[in-house]
Amino acid sequence: MANGQATVIGSSSFVRGRITGTGDLEIAGRVEGDVACSGDVLVEAGGLVAASIAARRIVVRGAVKGDLTAEDAVILEAGARVVGDLRAPRIAIAQGGLVRGHVQTGSAGAARPRSATATASRAPAVSAKAAPVARVEAAPARKQQAPAPVARAASSGGNGETRERAKAATRVGPPPPVVPALKKGTKAVAHHKKR
Amino acid sequence: MASTVIGAGITIEGEVTSDEDVVVQGTLRGKLVAKDAVTVEHGGVVEADITSGPVSVAGSVTGNISSNDRVDLQNGAKVVGNVKATRITIADGAQFKGNVDMDV
Repeated sequence: MANGQATVIGSSSFVRGRITGTGDLEIAGRVEGDVACSGDVLVEAGGLVAASIAARRIVVRGAVKGDLTAEDAVILEAGARVVGDLRAPRIAIAQGGLVRGHVQTGSAGAARPRSATATASRAPAVSAKAAPVARVEAAPARKQQAPAPVARAASSGGNGETRERAKAATRVGPPPPVVPALKKGTKAVAHHKKR
Repeated sequence: MASTVIGAGITIEGEVTSDEDVVVQGTLRGKLVAKDAVTVEHGGVVEADITSGPVSVAGSVTGNISSNDRVDLQNGAKVVGNVKATRITIADGAQFKGNVDMDV
């Protein structure tokens, strides 16, 4: 045949089972079962795949229900409908492509995005106590050579609420809650701008 | 231009159903049902029962072939299984082991 390597599942064809091997694969029909090949996989506009796909590069214009894992890239073009997880070093989702699932770019490391965000949300709460003070200290020093303690007192004295909260923080043991710490940082920025 | 091609290097384990032509250059295990022609090319391996229209074999088929048209076993073909068709040709150089059933 003219195309010696490419495998084509035609639009009126149905494969139930596993597709493995080397070379490119083009799916315009229906496939139920796992697909694993070392070349490129193209799911055409009319293609319907109920299977997880693992390949070097996956291009989807049709519908896929299953996980897509690529060594190179996953590309969802307009009209693509994917229900499943995407994982590849590079992932492209064009306008008109629909996805429901977890998307992870980067090399095939273990998926730990949930725990990573949990630690990230905790970390600023701890560092936020020090960061605004440092910013307030640094800014006046650059502008008007004012002593740092004065600048800090002015910034906290601008709002009675923050002063009270600061007093509470010094008096009571537990650290301030996460949300006020974030607010303090934003206020400090606003105050700094006002000057 | 065939509509469904199982390329060299690809293995399908399972059932393939098609309303169009099927060309096998790789490996197919399971079952193959096609409304139209099936071509097993040189290097193609089918370990499955084939039910289809006209069948042309230049590769290897292990399984029964049932065709509502003709079956051509070409030079280099290796077929183990029963063949049921209206017309059959077996070319010089084709290996064949099995029964032949023609509508007489």
